[in-house]
Order: sequence, then structure tokens, then C-alpha cells
Amino acid sequence: MNMRGDLARDLAEIVGERHVRVDDGALAAHARDATPLFEATPQAVVYPGSTAEVAEILRYATANRVPVVPRGGGSNLCAAAVPLRGGIVMVLTRLNRILEISREELLARVQPGVTTATLAAAAAEQGLLYAPDPGSHTVSTIGGNIATCAGGLRGLKYGVTRNYVLGLEAVLPTGEIIRTGGRLWKDVAGYDLTRLLTGSEGTLAVITEATVALLPKPKESGTGVAYFASLADASRAVTAVIAAGIVPATLEFLDHKCIAAVEEFAKLGLRLDAGALLLFGDDGEADAIARNLDRIGAICTEIGALEVTLAEDVARADALLAARRCSLPALSRLGPLTVLEDVTVPRHRLAEMVDRIDEIADRYELRIATFGHAGDGNLHPTCVLDPHDHAAIERCHKAFAEIFSAAIALDGTITGEHGVGAAKLPYLEERLGTDQVALLGRIKRAFDPAGILNPGKLGS
Amino acid sequence: MIDRSASDARPDAASGTGRPAPASAGIFDPGLLDRCISCGFCLPVCPTYRLTGQETSSPRGRITLMRALESGRLADGDPTLAEEASFCLGCRACETVCPAGVRYGELLEQWRDHQWRGRRRPLLARLLMAVVSRPALLGLQRLVRRYATGKAGRRAVPGGADRPASLMLGCVERGLYPEVSRAVLELRPELAVPGGQGCCGALHAHNGDSAAGRELARKLGERLDGTIVTTAGGCAAHLAHHLGRDRVAELSEYLERTGYRPAGEVRVNGRRARVALQDSCHLRNALGVTRPPRELIAAVADYVELPNAGDCCGAAGTYSLLRPADSRAVLRPKLEAIEAADVDYVVALNPGCLRQLRQGLRRARSRAKAIHLAELLVMAARAANRSTPR
Ligand SMILES: Cc1cc2nc3c(=O)[nH]c(=O)nc-3n(C[C@H](O)[C@H](O)[C@H](O)COP(=O)(O)OP(=O)(O)OC[C@H]3O[C@@H](n4cnc5c(N)ncnc54)[C@H](O)[C@@H]3O)c2cc1C
Ligand code: SF4
Ligand code: SF4
Repeated sequence: MNMRGDLARDLAEIVGERHVRVDDGALAAHARDATPLFEATPQAVVYPGSTAEVAEILRYATANRVPVVPRGGGSNLCAAAVPLRGGIVMVLTRLNRILEISREELLARVQPGVTTATLAAAAAEQGLLYAPDPGSHTVSTIGGNIATCAGGLRGLKYGVTRNYVLGLEAVLPTGEIIRTGGRLWKDVAGYDLTRLLTGSEGTLAVITEATVALLPKPKESGTGVAYFASLADASRAVTAVIAAGIVPATLEFLDHKCIAAVEEFAKLGLRLDAGALLLFGDDGEADAIARNLDRIGAICTEIGALEVTLAEDVARADALLAARRCSLPALSRLGPLTVLEDVTVPRHRLAEMVDRIDEIADRYELRIATFGHAGDGNLHPTCVLDPHDHAAIERCHKAFAEIFSAAIALDGTITGEHGVGAAKLPYLEERLGTDQVALLGRIKRAFDPAGILNPGKLGS
Repeated sequence: MIDRSASDARPDAASGTGRPAPASAGIFDPGLLDRCISCGFCLPVCPTYRLTGQETSSPRGRITLMRALESGRLADGDPTLAEEASFCLGCRACETVCPAGVRYGELLEQWRDHQWRGRRRPLLARLLMAVVSRPALLGLQRLVRRYATGKAGRRAVPGGADRPASLMLGCVERGLYPEVSRAVLELRPELAVPGGQGCCGALHAHNGDSAAGRELARKLGERLDGTIVTTAGGCAAHLAHHLGRDRVAELSEYLERTGYRPAGEVRVNGRRARVALQDSCHLRNALGVTRPPRELIAAVADYVELPNAGDCCGAAGTYSLLRPADSRAVLRPKLEAIEAADVDYVVALNPGCLRQLRQGLRRARSRAKAIHLAELLVMAARAANRSTPR
């Protein structure tokens, strides 16, 4: 009969009926992720319960040439989990066990569906730190984090997901199960497939287990806030802080539109008359933190900060960080369609990039609010739109194309942490050049000869 | 074996660029539906998502379903729509963590208005709605005869409250727990208890008849003078929505506002009782009231915070009757936490929760007892009175 009926029956044989959905409602619910404007309907949704089931599904898909799109929390922002060519959405959230946390070895072994916050909490219970902390940590999964090489609010000092992945178990689209890396801090046997799979956006293999590095949990932490007249001023402060040889854990900024939106949700008493807010924080030994925060504060004042304050306690610091994490959804209070980008430039060019974004927004008559991981040179200019205003949406696409070009011209990139997915694929060649894009295609085919795994994205 | 050419993949009209604004069916307020940006922040707090782990039973998934209904992408009789509109507890935990400010509770009312219109409403819900529309069936008259003062607000309220206040006799309470209202009057004898009170309409609003829900709230607002004091968090939220926040006070709020000082102490086996709280979902998630009940308990007993005090207990209005198995599944982690906390009492702020907890604790042969806040405070006050002569 129809394809859906066949799929339902065949998949049910592998995972059991309860874990397959082909009803229109479930298909509609998996047609998109957190990226606006991208939608495509799959024919089936499947929730495998083991690596062996994942392998069997992939073998089946390759044999029958059915696309498979892996999915974790569905929180990515580049349409990486949208089933562009239909097929099967494979949700990995049933694989949600923390298999091991080792204090002696400073590592954790987890299944891909564990959420970032769950792993971080389990590590913290043992006095350990899982460092990558994307703003979406309560919903994003470790599998999704690895597949997108997620960054976070501590990236400056601690790096991004890539720096913590020691080893992976993954299933190739043809069904073979491979184990890359492992528990070793050093291992150069073969090409570094662990790194290749990290950031591969579900186009090369399905991650079914990860071994990740943990750190001893820092004893203390401290957070401060500086207000500036403009985002460009805040950017200059970031450059100055790093130039002074200070590498704090957190340097995040928000422009005045973001401050207003966040304040409306979080009610923290943020200053609404300032042009920008710089959130800075550090962890480690109390005296070192105090020294660093003082120096950062002094530098901000020198650059012309309107006001510098330190959070009086942990609760206040946590509240500030939580507020920063919800910048994007909070912005949607200004207009329900928020198109957000992820350009990244060398840190000393942040102020230039910020000016360029402002200029482009003005020229296209768009409302663009900007926040980001300033310490990483990573900006999230977010265009706030009315979903029914097609002309504005069109202008928004043009403006972002210019913003990408501007970033590349400043030695930057089109995406720092959200990934390419379907959303930025058209701009990839501008960043990588023809030869590299062709190489990506050859790598993709080596992993996935039938082209079934997340087609229409990286390598396709 | 699958025929490759027969693929019914539907890469939708505009994957890649701005999708056209879909034609809309007018079921939902479009401004509300547009708000959600599908970030997923609400997933981890949703009790039904925790049960199934499936997107369709998450707040984000349900909003996607509502959108599909609105745009005609899903047919009106779609079984998943029907199932999810009913599986949702309506607890509104999702609203508290939504940075985008999605008003899920209102969306759910609009969804059920459509989904459960007329005869599509579950039979049991229809019956209940009929019953609460006839106060006589609920034994209201008996209660009112004993307490009714006829006219509200004759006596001044101590503690500086500057306007009259009336006690609302909730439907469930009248039928099942009249002792709760009595306890309130023992704490606050100055409260007026006008007769002829109807239902507040929350039941209707949550079961697909928000027009009746609004109308009943309005009528009750006319019947009761001044501040409406209620012992049911769910009724408080519904009335506040329709009559204005300042017309309504849930009991703990009212006690705090009028400067009530809890007297005495609740003791068990010669020691201070260990008492936990079950937040009322709508009191917590819609009205944001969490501190006053905790402080009141802590004044008369050893307060124990359950790790999941704020999670829905599964009572959820008519839910425990309409979907008993799911309701019990939602309750299970709560019962486990109560056992682990080794408490003597669990305080409820809503008669539905009280019933749910009583039944659950009895089935689990727990030593903990569920009581309403008013009853706990009266227990303490009576103990204080007994000991004063000494
Ligand atoms: C409000 C908000 C804040 C955010 N903040 C940040 C931030 O600070 N930093 C940041 O980097 N990102 C951020 N993101 C983006 C997003 O959360 C990350 O990209 C995250 O890593 C996605 O994880 P997920 O589990 O939701 O993956 P999904 O969105 O489900 O999938 C993402 C990609 O990974 C693939 N994938 C998922 N699981 C697997 C697996 N097991 N094997 C192979 N492939 C897989 C999918 O196919 C897809 O290509 C934010 C998003 C939101 C909505
Ligand atoms: S948290 Fe709010 S905006 Fe985000 S998915 Fe849930 S309802 Fe939508
Ligand atoms: S109201 Fe409760 S059950 Fe319904 S979607 Fe929100 S959190 Fe889930």
C-alpha cells in the first residue's frame, strides 16, 4: 500500500509498535525544530531504545533508500533537524541514561538523549563540572550538542563541546557500529573521527554513546554587570579585558532591545536606559575571582561604562545567567517571528561587526536586536518580525546575506555554534570555498553512500 | 519493501524561505498562537511529556498541533488532536518557564472549546457541568443554612483589610469537604457567606465551554461582595482572570493580607508535626502564589519542601475522573516523594488535589494524611486554645 503503512509496519518490527508514530499529528509535530521558517513533514517518527535498534533502522533505511533525520531535543537554530526530504525522524531521547561518572578518570559515559542540564547536575553531585552550557541546556541533548558542537556561556575560558568529547559510539548509515576515541587523554591512532563527527549535524553517523571529559568543579564563582551607552562600547571593553590578559569564564552582552525583553520576563531590575549590558563572570578560587572581577570592572569604567556592579550572591548571579539564557525566546515578545543568526568574528573586531550590523539593519529598515557570547566573538543578531509581513521577511534574508559577507570580510564566519543545517547551507561555499565544499561531499559519500542520513544538509 | 518513487514526502511549500501565512480557521486567537517560538524550554516541566517522552504530548508539540488545526493542515476529526487536547492536564507549568510569554492556559481553553464543542465533550464532563449548575444537588443549602449571613461584609475585617470579603463555597468542596469551609470560618468568622452561590465556572472553562465559564464567573462576582476568598486555587485563578486579580484572594493570601497570626502548633506523637505542601497548579502557575502557604505551615509545624511540590498531582479538575490511569501515573512520583520525605501531613490548597492525594495515599497505605490548609491551621489553633488555661 502506501509508504507510510509499510514504514509503520517495518519500523514496528524493529522497535515495537509503541515506539513508532505515523499519525498526522506526530508527523506535524516533527516537521520543524526551533528554527523559524523551515518545515517539512516526515512519514514516520521512531524512538529507538538501543544501539542495536538504531543500527537496524539505518540498515533498513539504506536498503530502502529512506531518509533518516536524527533528532535530540529539537532545539537547534539552523533547521538541522528538519526532515527536508521526508522519511524517518529518529528521536534519540529514549536513550537517556547516564552510564557512568568516574571521579578517578574525570569523565562521564552517557547515552545521547541525556539533556545537558541533567548531565551537568549529575556531575555536580560528584563535585565535577561538565563545562559546555548552551543557553538551551534544559532541553538540548548531549547527542545534539555533539552533533552541533554547541558552545555556551562559559566558552571563553572552557571552550566548546568539541573540547570535551573523548570518544563516541556511533552507527554508520550502512549499519556498522563504530567506536572512536575512548577514555584516553591521548590517542592518535587513525584520523580523528571523534572530531569529525563532532559538529557533523547528523549527516555522517548517529551518535549512540559519548564519553565526555569532566573537570573538578570550581570552588566559587562570581558575576558582575556593566552597563554601557552602546553595544560598540561594550565590545571595546571585551577587547580590552582580553588584551589585559584576563580570561574570565563568561563575557556575554545584550543590547538595549534585549535588555528590555529579558527584563519583562525575568524582572531583575535591569537598567532599561542603557544601550548595552555586559555580563561578566569567573570561577575558581575566591581571591582570584575577586581580583579578576575588580580588574574587569575597572577596565569597563575606563572604557566609559555607565555603571558597574557585582552580584551580591550566588542566587543573583544565577538569576542573571538564567536571564541571559532566555534572551532569544524573550525577544519574541517584541514580535513573534525571530530570525536569529550566529556570526562570529575575531574578538578585536567585535565593535566593527556590531557597527556593520546596525548599519545594515537601518538600511533594510529592520528591527535587529543583538546579544551574544561576546568573549568568543560570537554575535546573535536577531531580526524581530511580523510573520505575515512577507516584504520584511524578504528584506531580512537579504540583510543577513550581507551580514554573513561582512563577517567573512572581517575574517569571521557565518556560524559560530548553531551550525549550518539547511538554513546556512546556501552561504557555506562563500565561507569554505569550492574545493572544501567538494571535499565535504566526498567525506559524506564515504560515510553514507546511499545519501540517506539527514539529506539536504552538510555534504549534500 | 518501499517504492522509492511513491515517496509521499511533503517538503512543505516553502521550506527554505518564508512560508505563506496559512489560512486560519479562527479557532484560536492568532496573537496567542504566534507567540511560541518552539524553543522547547517548556518540555522538561511538562508532566505528560515526562510520562511519554513524545513531542506530541509536550507543550511545544501541542502548540504545533493547535497551529496545524488552525491552518487546516490537520483535519478537524484528527485523532491525535482529540487525544492530546484531552491528555493535557491543563496544569500550566509550561507557562512558568516560557520566556516568550506564551499563554498556554488560554490556548487550551480555546482548543477545548472547539474540540469538545457540544456533544463531543466527554459524557462525564457534561454530567459534572450539569451537576454544578444545580447547587441544590451539592448539599449547598445545608451548609448555607448554617453559615449564611445573607449579606456580605457587615463586620469589619481585622488586620487593616479595607473592604468586605466573602467566602466562596466551591462546588467540589460543598459536595465532598464542607469541613474545609467550616474550618475557614473558624479561622475567620468575620467572612460573609452569602447564599445562592453558583459554580465559578472554572470547570466549564476547562472542559470546552469557556463562554459559560466566563458567564458563571461574572454571576458569582455579582453575588459575592468585596474580596472573594476561596479555598480552591483553581477557582481563584479562573475568577482572577475574569473578574480581575484584585477581586480574588486564595485563603493563604487572604490570611496574610489580613494579618492572620497562626496560633499553636500541630503535634504528632509528642513532637512537632512534619508537614509538606502540594502547590495548587493554577495558584502557583497562573497567580504565582507560593510563599504564603509555606509560611503559614512553617508557623505551626516543621515544614518539609517536597522536591516536586510544584508539580501537578494529576487531579487537574475533572482529569482524575476522565483519565484515571493517566491521573494516577502523574501522581506516582508525588507519592514516592511524600514517602521519602516521611511526613505526617501533606497540605493541599485545592479540594481536587485534596481528594487526589487522599485516595493516592490511602491506596499506597501511606502513614501521611492529606488535609486542607484551613484544617491544619484550625488543628493548631484548637491545640493552642486547649493549652492556654494551663
Ligand atoms: C533559546 C535557545 C538558546 C540556545 N543557546 C545556545 C547556545 O548558547 N549555544 C549553542 O551552541 N547552541 C544554542 N542553542 C541551539 C541548540 O540548543 C543547540 O544546537 C543544541 O546543541 C541542539 O541540541 P538538541 O538536542 O536540541 O539537537 P536537535 O536540535 O534535535 O538536533 C541538532 C542536530 O543534531 C543532530 N543530532 C541530534 N542528536 C543526534 C545524535 N544522537 N546523533 C547524530 N546526530 C544527532 C540532528 O540531526 C541535528 O542535525 C540554543 C537554542 C535555543 C532555542
Ligand atoms: S517555552 Fe514557550 S516559546 Fe518555548 S516552546 Fe515552550 S511554549 Fe513555545
Ligand atoms: S498544561 Fe501542563 S500538561 Fe498541559 S502542556 Fe502545559 S505543562 Fe504539559
